Amino acid sequence: MKLDKKMIKLNQHFDTKEDAIRAAGQLLVDNGCVEPGYVNSMLERNKELSTYIGNFIAIPHGIDEGKKYIEKTGISVIQVPEGIEFGENHDDHKVVTVVFGIAGVNNEHLNVLSQIALFCRKVENVAKLADAQSEQEVIDLLKEVEE
Amino acid sequence: MTQDSQAVGQTTVKQKSSIKTKIQRFGTALSGMIMPNIAAIIAWGLVTALFLVPGGWLPNAQIAKLINPMLHYLLPLLIGYVGGRMVYEERGAVVGAIATTGVIVGADVPMFLGAMIMGPFGGWCMKQFDRLFSDKIRTGFEMIYQNFSAGIIGMVLAIIGQFIVNPLVVGGSNIAAQGVSWIISAHLLPLANIFIEPAKVLFLNNAVGNGILVPLGIQQVGQAGKSILFLLESNPGPGLGILLAFCLYGKGSSKSSAPGAVIIQFLGGIHEIYFPYILMKPLLIVPAILAGISGTFTFQLLGAGLKAAASPGSIISILLMTPKGSYIANLAGILVATIVSFILSAIILKRDKSLGGDLETKQAEMQQMKAESKGLTNNNNGLSASTDIKKIIFACDAGMGSSAMGASLLRDKLKKAGITTVPVTNVAVRDLKPEPNLLVVTQKELTDRATEKTPAAIHVSVGNFMNSSRYDEIVQMLKQNVNKANSDSVSEEPAENISGLFSQIDFARVKKISFVSGDENVGSTTMAVSSFNDELKLAQKNLTANQTSLANVQDSPDQLLITTTAMVEQLKRHVSQAQIVAVDDLLKDKNLKNLIFHLE
Repeated sequence: MKLDKKMIKLNQHFDTKEDAIRAAGQLLVDNGCVEPGYVNSMLERNKELSTYIGNFIAIPHGIDEGKKYIEKTGISVIQVPEGIEFGENHDDHKVVTVVFGIAGVNNEHLNVLSQIALFCRKVENVAKLADAQSEQEVIDLLKEVEE
Repeated sequence: MTQDSQAVGQTTVKQKSSIKTKIQRFGTALSGMIMPNIAAIIAWGLVTALFLVPGGWLPNAQIAKLINPMLHYLLPLLIGYVGGRMVYEERGAVVGAIATTGVIVGADVPMFLGAMIMGPFGGWCMKQFDRLFSDKIRTGFEMIYQNFSAGIIGMVLAIIGQFIVNPLVVGGSNIAAQGVSWIISAHLLPLANIFIEPAKVLFLNNAVGNGILVPLGIQQVGQAGKSILFLLESNPGPGLGILLAFCLYGKGSSKSSAPGAVIIQFLGGIHEIYFPYILMKPLLIVPAILAGISGTFTFQLLGAGLKAAASPGSIISILLMTPKGSYIANLAGILVATIVSFILSAIILKRDKSLGGDLETKQAEMQQMKAESKGLTNNNNGLSASTDIKKIIFACDAGMGSSAMGASLLRDKLKKAGITTVPVTNVAVRDLKPEPNLLVVTQKELTDRATEKTPAAIHVSVGNFMNSSRYDEIVQMLKQNVNKANSDSVSEEPAENISGLFSQIDFARVKKISFVSGDENVGSTTMAVSSFNDELKLAQKNLTANQTSLANVQDSPDQLLITTTAMVEQLKRHVSQAQIVAVDDLLKDKNLKNLIFHLE
């Protein structure tokens, strides 16, 4: 699979991490990747175990039971330039600037996810994503890692 | 990438191995196909023992209808399925089962051997095909590709199996049968066991027993009232001796499962139960043959025989079929066979400590013990260099996101380090399965669950999947394993002398710190501020930095503004009192870290 411009939203603002996850989920819903129930599954997963994975990135996705809502594989990208706090409490600061919403079946999403991982391993690359000015730029940035 | 992640089923890791370990591995692979299906063999065996007409304990023609389909279809298909799965997971399993159908159809003998060939072969074909083509499939066509490629390959293999493999296997069992009948006609009866025992282990026992021995035996009964031929295949002695040896000298699961197998084999008469033990350790066929020969020789010497076929070959049914006056002869033959087989098997088992299916776990245990004795523990507090890792699995909750990313990163690091023999995959924690020489990486929160699932594995827990220093530890460890002496240690860059940059700054008056972002770098500035604040906290400074846009900059003497060299001229036009530090990259510039130490 590939990233789709329609699945990328730049310059978003959120008050809570839940809103950010909902937005990432809604983008999956709007593009026919998942049924609305999946969004709750994403929120639940984040409550159980934070989907913050370091380097200012979060990859919200559903729990196992949520897989039934997935209609097709998709990855949504939400850029949050001002950042959103993914920490568990006040002392826990985990600022996120890029949110990748993930719905994966049959491991079709793995190559894109792996591209994202390889790219975002360098925090300066995440900075490029956080500063990206167009959807195409995000896609091009992530393409860079292809060998 | 897709290819790598699909190679989950890859269990064989290329490495130098002696012929001995190769044979053991072959035996392990064969028994690996049988062992998971023991339950099905028992189900079939019990139905046969209980309901076979005639000969069962509770003969029932209706229930007995199960016997043939189970033996001819269910068992070979299961074996073919598991065989395919061993090579290439679910896809290999399905193709393996389809291919096995080809060898089943039209064969008179139960196709265990054929299944053991076609199952793994089907999986292998699918794997090779995917390796060639799965990368070239256009988005959206993955499902069509997957289903049709597996379907077509399965069909072709089933046809090939029907025309090539099937005749070979049928031919093989015919040779065994002819060998037996030739030996009987040459009056070298004890030597018949040279054919019978290997044929039995390959599940051709019924072909030999019912196909040759029983018809000939019935003729002899007509003339002499009893026949020794009924005893050749049904003699439980050789199998019993092997199982008893496993009870005493086996290792791990083979030892603990052996006593149950003794009951099923000796009393229940289901000989199939001990075949996997031989397949696990193929050398044991020698005790089986020698025990069969000595047993038959004893039978012949003492004039043993049965009134009719003892089916199943249980000690009970043998005694029931024994004519008056032959009890001692029959029991003596069985006893001799048991003793010979037990002694020889015990010698083999005792001499060879590394045992079939448990071989690799054993090795892993050894490694672990070695590591522990050196004061290195594998549980999280540093990785032992002597640990022989063959596979790395990242596990997360659903196996969908974070673990996949972590796996990609480590895979990439390994590739760059030149380590290509260790597959890195990802799964959901609940799908973790114990495997020898396994290393499992999980998020801290899931490590306990993962340890429960795979207690023998080495567990590494990471807080952060994206930049964990543990990945480098793992790479280093594997590198040492691969004997790459030239391990390039990452040397820390010496801190630059940067005092020049701050020479103009009066740190004493700084009370507020702001990062100034332009329109195009809000995101990276957010990240820079967050990192900077983390550093401040670590350094126990009472300051917090915030973020501001050019238009909202506050100009006061106690303000320190941090911005990029690209923006600094613009910023200078906005402010007159605040002090300014400009760096090329807000996020990465080491000078900013050093700046923190200058702050009050």
